[in-house]
Amino acid sequence: MNRQILTLIRYEWKTFVRNKFQLLLLVITFLFGLYAIYYGQSEINAQRETINAVTALETKEFSQYKGSFTTEMENQTQEQTHDIASRPEYAWYRHGYHAILPPHDYAPLAIGQRDLFRYYYRLTGTSLHYQLFENELANPVNLLAGNFDLSFLLVYLFPLLIIAFCYGLFSSEKESGTLALLQIQAVSIRKIMLVRLAFYFVLITGLAIFISLLGLCLSGNPFTEENMLPAIAWVIGTTLYCAFWFGLLFLIISFKKGSAFNAISAAGCWLLLLIVVPAVLNVIVTVKYPLSSATLAGLTRRTGLENEDDEEESKEVIMEFLAHMPELTGSDSLMKNNMLPKAYAAFTTLKDINSQQEVDHYNDKVAKRNQWTSQFLWLSPAVNMQEILAHITQTDLNTFLDFQNALADFHEEITDFYFTRLFWDRPILLEDYEQLPVFEMSEDLNRGNIIWFGLGKILIAAGLVFLVGFFRMRKGVKQ
Amino acid sequence: MNQLIFIAKKEIKVAIRERLVISLGAIIILLLGVALYAGYISYRQQQQIITQTQIEKRQEWLNQGDKHPHIAAHYGTFVFKPKTILSLFDFGLDAYTGTSVYLEAHHQHEFMFRPAQDHSSMIRFGELSAALVLQVLVPLLIIFLAFASFTRERESGTLKLLMSQGTSFNTLTWGKILAYAVMLAVILLPFLLGLVLLSVSHMSYDVIPDITVRVAMLVLIYGLYLCFFIAFSVWVSLRSGSGRNALLTLLTCWIFFAILLPKTVANLSESFYSLPSMREFKAQIDETKRNGLDGKTPRSVRMANLKKEYLEKYGVDSVQQLPFNFEGVSMQAGEEFGDQVYDYHLNNLREIFHKQNQLGSIASLFNPYLAVQHLSMALSGTDIHTFIHFEEEVERYRRELVRKMNQDMAENSKYGEFYGYKAGSDLWGEIEDFSYRAPTAWQLLSYYKLELISLMLWMALTMVLLHVANRKMKPIHE
Repeated sequence: MNRQILTLIRYEWKTFVRNKFQLLLLVITFLFGLYAIYYGQSEINAQRETINAVTALETKEFSQYKGSFTTEMENQTQEQTHDIASRPEYAWYRHGYHAILPPHDYAPLAIGQRDLFRYYYRLTGTSLHYQLFENELANPVNLLAGNFDLSFLLVYLFPLLIIAFCYGLFSSEKESGTLALLQIQAVSIRKIMLVRLAFYFVLITGLAIFISLLGLCLSGNPFTEENMLPAIAWVIGTTLYCAFWFGLLFLIISFKKGSAFNAISAAGCWLLLLIVVPAVLNVIVTVKYPLSSATLAGLTRRTGLENEDDEEESKEVIMEFLAHMPELTGSDSLMKNNMLPKAYAAFTTLKDINSQQEVDHYNDKVAKRNQWTSQFLWLSPAVNMQEILAHITQTDLNTFLDFQNALADFHEEITDFYFTRLFWDRPILLEDYEQLPVFEMSEDLNRGNIIWFGLGKILIAAGLVFLVGFFRMRKGVKQ
Repeated sequence: MNQLIFIAKKEIKVAIRERLVISLGAIIILLLGVALYAGYISYRQQQQIITQTQIEKRQEWLNQGDKHPHIAAHYGTFVFKPKTILSLFDFGLDAYTGTSVYLEAHHQHEFMFRPAQDHSSMIRFGELSAALVLQVLVPLLIIFLAFASFTRERESGTLKLLMSQGTSFNTLTWGKILAYAVMLAVILLPFLLGLVLLSVSHMSYDVIPDITVRVAMLVLIYGLYLCFFIAFSVWVSLRSGSGRNALLTLLTCWIFFAILLPKTVANLSESFYSLPSMREFKAQIDETKRNGLDGKTPRSVRMANLKKEYLEKYGVDSVQQLPFNFEGVSMQAGEEFGDQVYDYHLNNLREIFHKQNQLGSIASLFNPYLAVQHLSMALSGTDIHTFIHFEEEVERYRRELVRKMNQDMAENSKYGEFYGYKAGSDLWGEIEDFSYRAPTAWQLLSYYKLELISLMLWMALTMVLLHVANRKMKPIHE
């Protein structure tokens, strides 16, 4: 580093320290950062508490069942419990399993769609679609307003901070008359501007990374296996996103116009990237891929056999069902024992099979929408950044779509477990409780790709604006 | 007066010369056009699907065949939230409130499907609606137009010249405000015509009873809001030393009003008054249903009391001797008790919603953006109160449906013979189809007094500030 640059940095530092307003801005941003981390954690902790509560309920339910095998029956309630525990004709629609999508350690930093979707379901062997579409309680006014989490601070407010610090880097020299003095120096204007921008880049990106690290450390241990890569991606993302905005300001500065022009153009860019582009994309996707859940609503209807006393009807339903599940046929007592529960089990499963197509069709449309939108993410690095952060913290739409799919698989496991026992007329034994269905969700393998490609796009955008600015800046300055 | 118009004319000329302002104006016109067009298409798409599905569900209900009334009450039907024509102007909460609900006996189902769930997290950036343009973008255009209104005159020295001509600050200020208002009016006029035409053409069959009043109120409220922004920007320019300072002050205010405060208020309300989870809510209802509202009258006791009451009233020894089917009566009693329990817990829940939203209303006193946002949603029929009203109407309809089924069961079936009795399409037809009328604008606005006061106060405050500034200002003083 040569002396000129050192002088420039020293000068910049002096002006920066003297400007109380700028210091205040940084302090306010830092405080907002603390609040954002706190708020995100309080939201996600509430979800964690709910998850703990439902898990505890499930543990209690099943320990009662297991206990009923070993305790002496003394009263009716205990007998009932044991019936539910051991007889598949009761158990298949009474035993409730929780499928839970636990928050990633870093979910508090970017809440994404987590406040909008359900993250826990209680599933029994009855119709899946009857259990799937209920919403979590939420105040729609607050859903509309959105969350003040760290991702909001980084995506919305840091660009404003960058604008506030840098829009006048060139124009203020011009306006205060010091530009001519600078021009007679041996250092080129471009170099001076670059050093000054670099100074603020280090300062502001440093703050962003500092707040991020604070959030990352407070929300989880960044050195564990599942947190390490997300933490690194988060920090890289923050740096690249700040770099993009500094590049953009460099481009605006390179027009060498007055302060007002710079401020208006920078604010205009901010508005375009953070409000106009996403708003327009959202409305286009709504119109281009119209979706109405009205078509799905009918699936939740609770229907039953026409007449429970009519054995013929029950038989028909069971036979129709067994055509789909040949492995359940063959029991001698198939049509003798528990005809009605079998008929109901068959009935709800058939209903699910019939409506599955409609649900798939709907989910396909949602996926198409998602695909279409992701094509245009490069239009706005801000939207891109938000999506990346949501992907890092696993609060993005894909995660919830995967969760829905995993639910369907889990439901199948549950019905398999009970239906083999119901249709083969086998009681549920104590040792069966060691092999109960367990909810599992496979890791989204594409997540890493989406994140790194997204970051690549921001890098390209940052490079592009910077280079254009760099070449424009070379041209001489008119006095 | 002449002077005033002269100043306004000059101001318009200067503005038109600025390419940046012209292009921003053009962008706003374009965005408004796109917003209105897309809003209309989306309204038509949704409305069509909803109407069609509603008809299908109605037919399913009517043609469900002969069955026991209680099974029919479980078969139930569906209601879909209709779109209001003004929702093409302001989507409001439409993406975040549930859209359909299943009506059956014993269970109050919650509304299912929030349309925002069908979007990626980009939806949280907001959807382009005319309301968004008017609330967020147009104020910014005003800021860009007006931030230099006085500082430019001062910086170029023309202010002194103007003063020496005998122009008062008062005339100058109002001339400038008039100019900006005229420019805005010109930009917004085509949009306004489009909105009026669209809403009037759909007046007859919309769920909103008083579209004309609402459109007029919308125009008035947005007019006030934008005028406030013009006057405020001119005042800031008047008080600022340089254009740069004026612009920065105004932009800071705008970010504070439109971006920071709404989110912060919503989040704080969430932290102050936290909602139970759906599981807790349901568990509370189940618990109360099991043990009674007082916590010590279980179902068996309630049923025994009911039986005793009826036996004594009719002077008979057993329920079989009653002139009607007691099962129908006990079913309805159970239903009504369930409703009572649900109402109790729902009211508690709504109370939390109300407290959360009350915080937003109070915050609107400090933020005209929030005030306009709330009022605009209310008038467009996409706010929380219209939604709650809709929920209540739906629940009323459900109760009526179940009551009629139970009544029929009590009158026509015999005790203990559940499958012996079947009702048919005559009974199904007795249940009228659900149709919804939103409350009138005046009823709705009574929830939004604070917001109305806020707009008035901000307007009055700006007028006072302008008045004081005009009197105190001296052109020589830099």
